[in-house]
Amino acid sequence: MTTGDRSAGAADMIAVEAIGKTYGSGEHALEALVDVSFAVREGEFVTLVGPSGCGKSTLLQILAGLVPASTGRVVISGRPVTGPAPDTIGVMFQDAWLLPWKTAVENVEFPLALRKVPAAVRRTRALPLIDLVGLTSFAHRYPDELSGGMRQRVAIARCLVQEPRVLLMDEPFAALDEQTRTRMGSELLQIWEKSGGTVVFVTHGLTEAIYLADTVVVMGTRPGRIIERITVPLPRPRTIDMIGSEAFGRLRNHIWHLIAEVRP
Amino acid sequence: MTGWLIRLAPLVLVAALAALWEAASRFSFADPRLLPPLSDVLRVLAGLLQDARFRGDLGITLSEIAVAFAIVGPLGLAVGFFLGESLAAYRMFAPALHLLLSIPKSIFLPVFIFAFGIGFLQKVIFAVTLAFFIVVLSGIAAARSVPAGLVTAARSFGATRAQIYLRIYLPAMEPLIVEGLRMGLIFTVTGVLLAEMYGSPRGIGRVIFAWGEMFKMPELFAGVLLIVVMTVACNELLRGIEEFRKSRRRGFR
Amino acid sequence: MTGLRRQLIRLAVLALFLGIWEAAFRLGLMSPIIFASPSLIAEAAAKDGWTFMLAFRITIFEITMAILIAWTLGIGFGVVAGSVPVLARIAAPVLSALIAVPLVVLYPVLIAWLGLGPASKVVFGVVSGIFPIALNTTVGVREINRGYATMAAAMGANRRQIMFQVMAPLALPAIVSGLRLGTALIVIGVVLSEMLASTDGIGFWISYHRALFNTGQVYLGILLALLIAGLANAALSLVERLYARRTVDQAVP
Repeated sequence: MTTGDRSAGAADMIAVEAIGKTYGSGEHALEALVDVSFAVREGEFVTLVGPSGCGKSTLLQILAGLVPASTGRVVISGRPVTGPAPDTIGVMFQDAWLLPWKTAVENVEFPLALRKVPAAVRRTRALPLIDLVGLTSFAHRYPDELSGGMRQRVAIARCLVQEPRVLLMDEPFAALDEQTRTRMGSELLQIWEKSGGTVVFVTHGLTEAIYLADTVVVMGTRPGRIIERITVPLPRPRTIDMIGSEAFGRLRNHIWHLIAEVRP
Repeated sequence: MTGWLIRLAPLVLVAALAALWEAASRFSFADPRLLPPLSDVLRVLAGLLQDARFRGDLGITLSEIAVAFAIVGPLGLAVGFFLGESLAAYRMFAPALHLLLSIPKSIFLPVFIFAFGIGFLQKVIFAVTLAFFIVVLSGIAAARSVPAGLVTAARSFGATRAQIYLRIYLPAMEPLIVEGLRMGLIFTVTGVLLAEMYGSPRGIGRVIFAWGEMFKMPELFAGVLLIVVMTVACNELLRGIEEFRKSRRRGFR
Repeated sequence: MTGLRRQLIRLAVLALFLGIWEAAFRLGLMSPIIFASPSLIAEAAAKDGWTFMLAFRITIFEITMAILIAWTLGIGFGVVAGSVPVLARIAAPVLSALIAVPLVVLYPVLIAWLGLGPASKVVFGVVSGIFPIALNTTVGVREINRGYATMAAAMGANRRQIMFQVMAPLALPAIVSGLRLGTALIVIGVVLSEMLASTDGIGFWISYHRALFNTGQVYLGILLALLIAGLANAALSLVERLYARRTVDQAVP
């Protein structure tokens, strides 16, 4: 495994340059993030992992253009991020926030409807994605008829409907039970391998972080910053059995110690 | 920092509106015959408050409100408690109650005039009828809000019936009772003023209605302003008391 | 029991009720000064039915106008105020303070400004009903979990789209409860204002015949007014069912 910084280069999809985020001012200022810099190559799957309060969700929201940074900037696909850019950046949250009065496929179409894309066109773009996430027979069901895992799958499809080049995911499986979470992780990898794209995935879970990623970015807390970038040497496609392997275990222990030592 | 700024905002709003009113009228953006300047209105109001006849009318209205409220408050709450406590009674009367609630009672004002004339009595009875149902509803909610566990616990300590009512029921129901009385007062005031406007020899409602018909705008605005200020002040006072009592009850539940 | 049988039974009960009413009246159990019998009302309908029908149309028109204006302004204001946290914190206390004002006192001002015609009735109707609509909408929108707005922003929605395509539908249950109360108040407000001072409309004719002690006509008018109130309520239930959207009551795991 290799560690160390990587500064931005020519083939980078995401360039995070000296991002800082401070809440409040003066004596009561809270530094959520300090001098965070890293780069993500095109097609790379990166996970952000760290203890509670290390600012990983804040960082993701900055990348998504939902929250402005106090210092520094983010460049995605060659353009600085100034606000949400749904045709370039797809975002997923811990809750799917599906609109309860729309069916699954209508929810997937929602970003297109906001752009006034005609109904027929919307449907032809949404249905293949419904198939992709395995919800074909549930396309016309309402969110209250779907399980938590299904709702998150709809959210994945909704993310992809504008064919973004980057996917940002903020602990999307955290609210699901363990078995569903593991299954969703594998399915996400399958979808990612089929549709390509660059992914930044925030999670609490070390196992999930290593299993999914090409690179694990480990963050520390108070203030939020990057401690280490670790390349995951496991081959693709990943299988569940890899989780039990020695290499996996060593990686996991290493990260665990990194986080434990940094926590104040 | 923004906390008290936001709480001050309604007052700032009122001040701004007052200034706008004065300016619009003085500088004739609005027709000063239709909208007399605030300063004129206040001057007229001051004069009215010293006028014996006006004070007489005001007194009549206030006494109608007082009498009506003194009746509907206890009566409504008593009926409400009874219905809230006794499931059988509630089942029997609930449909009728909800039917009567949904009917707009103000429309029956002519019937009240047929039955009781246009004097003091009619105003009081009409206002009581208007306010009765909302107070009953609050009474029901108040009675139901007492956790049964409290009563059981008290009885196990050997509390008498009177003690249970006074020391447990009453304090427990206090917030909903105050809220119900506040709503009842609003309906009572509305009922009295409406009845006065519709047909009455004396009373503030009649007086301002007549001013409107006679186009005596400064007097009309003076009367309306007085009523608005008095009702809002009274309501805010009661709400303030509610809030204060609520904040002191932190440990109760 | 089939639907037809149930309807027949309802009709039978109604006929029985009317029969008892008529009998009680003729037997002298009901004072002819205060009450009217079904036959008197029928007579009144035969004599003045046409006038009442024309008045009915005018009242319906005024109510419809007031509903359109009050719903639009009330919901519009509420959605915007509820979405902007600072506005909501200022608006909510102001609106609940204003509920204390007996709106009927504003009516003479409206007559002075707008005359005795439909305009003053429509405006009074709007003023009567708009507060519960605006307040319920504001609170309803404010209670919505911010996550929906964040998601919509991430999907590329602008401020207006978030407010009206996401927040407003999510707040629909709260909005509808405000519309129920507000619409009822609008109907009452319009009819009352017609009763107080008008040139036409159901309320006007109720007052006209009251002065002449024509109980038959008065009760006919009251029945028509109640009918309008019932129609408005039924229309609202229909709207509610048409726009029945699945709400967020379902638990999010």
